[in-house]
Amino acid sequence: MSTPDSKTPAGTAPAAPPSPPVKDTFTVLFDGKPIEVPKNVNLIEAAKFAGIEIPHFCFHPRLSVVGQCRMCLVEIEGIPKIQAACTTPLKDGLSVKTTTEKVVQSRAANMEFLLINHPLDCPICDQAGECKLQDNSFGYGDQRSRYDEKKRQYAGFDRTMIGPHVIADMTRCIQCTRCIRFCQEIAGTGELTFLDRGGRTLVWTHDGKPLANDWSGCAADVCPVGALTTKEFRFRSRVWYLHKTPSVCPGCNIGCNISVEHRDSVVYRFLPRLNPDVNDYWLCDYGRFLSESLNLRDIEKASVREAGQAADTHVPAAIQKIAAQIRQTLEASGPGGVFLLGSANLSNEENYLLRKIADHLSCVNRDAVVDKSRARKMKSKTVWVEGDHAAANYAGAKDMGLSPLTGGYGLEDVLSGKARPEVILAADAAFSQIADDPGKVAALRRARFLAVAARNANELTRAADVLLPASSLAEKEGTFTNVQGRVQKFERAFLPKPPARPHWELLLLLAVALGWGDRNWTPEDLRRQIQAEVEGYADVTEEELKGGIVMKKGAFVSVGAI
Amino acid sequence: MSEKVLLARVGRGNSRSIETYLEDGGYAALRTVFTGGWTPEKLTDEVKKSGLRGRGGAGFPTGLKWTFVPKDTKGKPVYLLCNADESEPGTFKDRLLMEEDPHQVLEGVILSSYAIKCRSAYIYIRGEFYLGARILDRAIEEAYAKGYLGENILGSGYSLDVTVHRGAGAYICGEETGLIESLEGKRGQPRIKPPFPAVWGVFGCPTIVNNVETLACVVHIVNRGAEWFAKIGRNEKNSGPKLYCLSGHVNRPGVYEAPMGLQMKELLFGSDFGQGMKDGRKVKAVIPGGASAAMLTPEEIEDCPLDFDGLAAKKSMLGSAAIIVMNEDTCIVDAAQNLAKFFSHESCGQCTPCREGTPWLHKVLTRIENGEGRMHDIDLLEKISNQMANGMTICVFADAAIAPVLSSIGKFRDEFRYHVENKRCLPGVKSRESRVESLAAHA
Repeated sequence: MSTPDSKTPAGTAPAAPPSPPVKDTFTVLFDGKPIEVPKNVNLIEAAKFAGIEIPHFCFHPRLSVVGQCRMCLVEIEGIPKIQAACTTPLKDGLSVKTTTEKVVQSRAANMEFLLINHPLDCPICDQAGECKLQDNSFGYGDQRSRYDEKKRQYAGFDRTMIGPHVIADMTRCIQCTRCIRFCQEIAGTGELTFLDRGGRTLVWTHDGKPLANDWSGCAADVCPVGALTTKEFRFRSRVWYLHKTPSVCPGCNIGCNISVEHRDSVVYRFLPRLNPDVNDYWLCDYGRFLSESLNLRDIEKASVREAGQAADTHVPAAIQKIAAQIRQTLEASGPGGVFLLGSANLSNEENYLLRKIADHLSCVNRDAVVDKSRARKMKSKTVWVEGDHAAANYAGAKDMGLSPLTGGYGLEDVLSGKARPEVILAADAAFSQIADDPGKVAALRRARFLAVAARNANELTRAADVLLPASSLAEKEGTFTNVQGRVQKFERAFLPKPPARPHWELLLLLAVALGWGDRNWTPEDLRRQIQAEVEGYADVTEEELKGGIVMKKGAFVSVGAI
Repeated sequence: MSEKVLLARVGRGNSRSIETYLEDGGYAALRTVFTGGWTPEKLTDEVKKSGLRGRGGAGFPTGLKWTFVPKDTKGKPVYLLCNADESEPGTFKDRLLMEEDPHQVLEGVILSSYAIKCRSAYIYIRGEFYLGARILDRAIEEAYAKGYLGENILGSGYSLDVTVHRGAGAYICGEETGLIESLEGKRGQPRIKPPFPAVWGVFGCPTIVNNVETLACVVHIVNRGAEWFAKIGRNEKNSGPKLYCLSGHVNRPGVYEAPMGLQMKELLFGSDFGQGMKDGRKVKAVIPGGASAAMLTPEEIEDCPLDFDGLAAKKSMLGSAAIIVMNEDTCIVDAAQNLAKFFSHESCGQCTPCREGTPWLHKVLTRIENGEGRMHDIDLLEKISNQMANGMTICVFADAAIAPVLSSIGKFRDEFRYHVENKRCLPGVKSRESRVESLAAHA
């Protein structure tokens, strides 16, 4: 690309010499080894490109650099004094030494200083196992302490709830100010501050006002030690027992990337999973604490209501019952008597299956409805992403074609009585708060036959003729399409407890019973079909769906260097 | 007795009022600059030529500092901050200047503001100096009324506003970036440098921070010329009149003015100055530049010119020129413990080594002083100190905090050993309790 040169008379512009390509990287020497690093990263992140870990506590890639933990000290060629890596600007030819005697000593010194007043109560601390203080002590500290004095205590500032979710224990605090900076710079609410000074410095809330912003759990996330923990996870599990499964938050249509942390088919917590384009390092409290809801289950078995009396049955039998009812209606009154209701809680694969069933039956009466929720906001790396629907996959359900076709009717028509379907299949009982509204459920119940797949009981499940036991988010894999149109995959954390099955399996069984599809299809096969058939999904390959990076609490990972 | 310059008006009746200041030829420098057509550059050059070095502690050349303000500030205003947060233990010279001759300080502020093209200057005064703040406020009011402040000063077209801002009681706010943070309404914590204040200071604008005494010197450089100023003192690198704060076990403690480079012995024993040791006791140790300066032994004060380079040669520093004299009754462990307590109390707490190290030093010293020390504690104190400073922290507070510890152990190691071995002070040394009692009796 040539730039116009004002000195050249118009019309006589000589052929511009090709401008040298602008280098968007710096060459930095790490212990003598030249490494190309992006210009816009911190030295601590840049070191990862060289495979070098610079220990640190206060540095976080999304928070301002304060350089106060002093753990990241390195030697820079040409500067006599030891320097904090996090505050050293990157430049071409910078020569960083991370293994010299001086560096090793300064790290050991800082570890000693940090530990003299630390309670070392790891055996009863929830952070143990994902604690930067433990890690750095193991990596860079001395095993013995020379401190014989009494340790500092923060009487009255230990084991105290400072907000609806966060418990503070200042005795463990290492004064890195990450939590203060999170509340100030990301949440923008600034609840936390330093009180007092010197060795008596502590982090607390202003005037005792609670730490009650929408992302308060993140303050505990960024805490590198056990000073801030969440009430919900405290004392529930040792973190090294937990498995981490990449997933997507079901809370709203922002679709924050999460890690479902589980053991023995029990979900213990959600942690944010780094995705700079969606939720970055963060997760809102609403989404984070939905984790417990994944463990709730009321519907254990399939049941069929005969003459007003519900009785347990096998899933295949229940499926056959639904298929029979649908076939009967088709024969009697044509596809106009069948209404298929998808859900924004269901994955693209599941909604796609429902759409295919409708297509197969030539049924135009299909819909997916979700409640508008309080607007939720999430800070991505660059902008605030806003979500306003109470489930993760509203856009996906619509993309899969779950809207009434010409001549068909939707849920509104059914509820208002304008349309009177004979058979209703609600693929997910938690599709909306409508399912808890007795009046609205009565309107649905006007159908001769009502089939519902569900995990938790509500008015709708109690009214169903056939009830199928469905799985939770953790028990299936699939994709959600978020408010930005981004298709994101969630993995299965563990298998559902039989006879419960993932929604897609139930729907596939039904499709097969109705004469369409293949019993052996997997969600991956369905995604391939979606890719081929659904507009806008051609690029959503399995490779594309690999995104987001699993993190440890209190830790961060650099996107470029992994 | 040398001529008094900075303290010339101290002791004169009603020295605080603008009337007496004008009677004594005050604001002449301002008139010289504004009616003589001095450009800010000329004023800066004069100050550079005078060799004036900052009186706050670091001794940085003032004129050179002023030139660090970028030529093109990109539309940002430039600020002058007068550092009146005089909190270094043993230092009380700025207080005297502000309380006794506020217009001299104010004239210095106006001149310096003009030199750096500042339209709004702040005097950041230590919170405890309530009287000084009131006096300065009154002086500023008077200066506005007479047209030395405000719009179009003396018809020059130059306008300046000066505001007094009171601190809230933190030693660290005397550090220039800590002061800037505090002035912005934030917690007083030093900033990471670079960027330096001359580029990114208060409210993100170019800022120059100068000490009260430094600014007062500017008045006399204008009035009497840079050459006159440069000739005062031992050499051109240590020039000008200097205020010394003498305290401790001398007959006549106080603020003394003398040419830069006054001999320590002269200050302690001269008839114009300290007039010798109280009760004829011997000198045991002298802190020459405030709590952050290394202690000197009686041998070291023999040929000891009190200026920047003279004390640097003795591995101590002039600092704020607070000379604290300790006689032979003083327990050095007690003195070191007392200073360590101060630094432990005043650390801002942001950097790990300083936040954790200063209380640790204090605790170990307290144990030794209380007779609970162990021999390895002495080495431990040195080791802790050595891993706190020299780039380990953002500012030089930690370097200051370890100076009394390292120098006292280095120079009085035997006394520390005696303390550990015998669980008591050296024979003849008065315990702290008895000294407190004698002070009470004296009062």
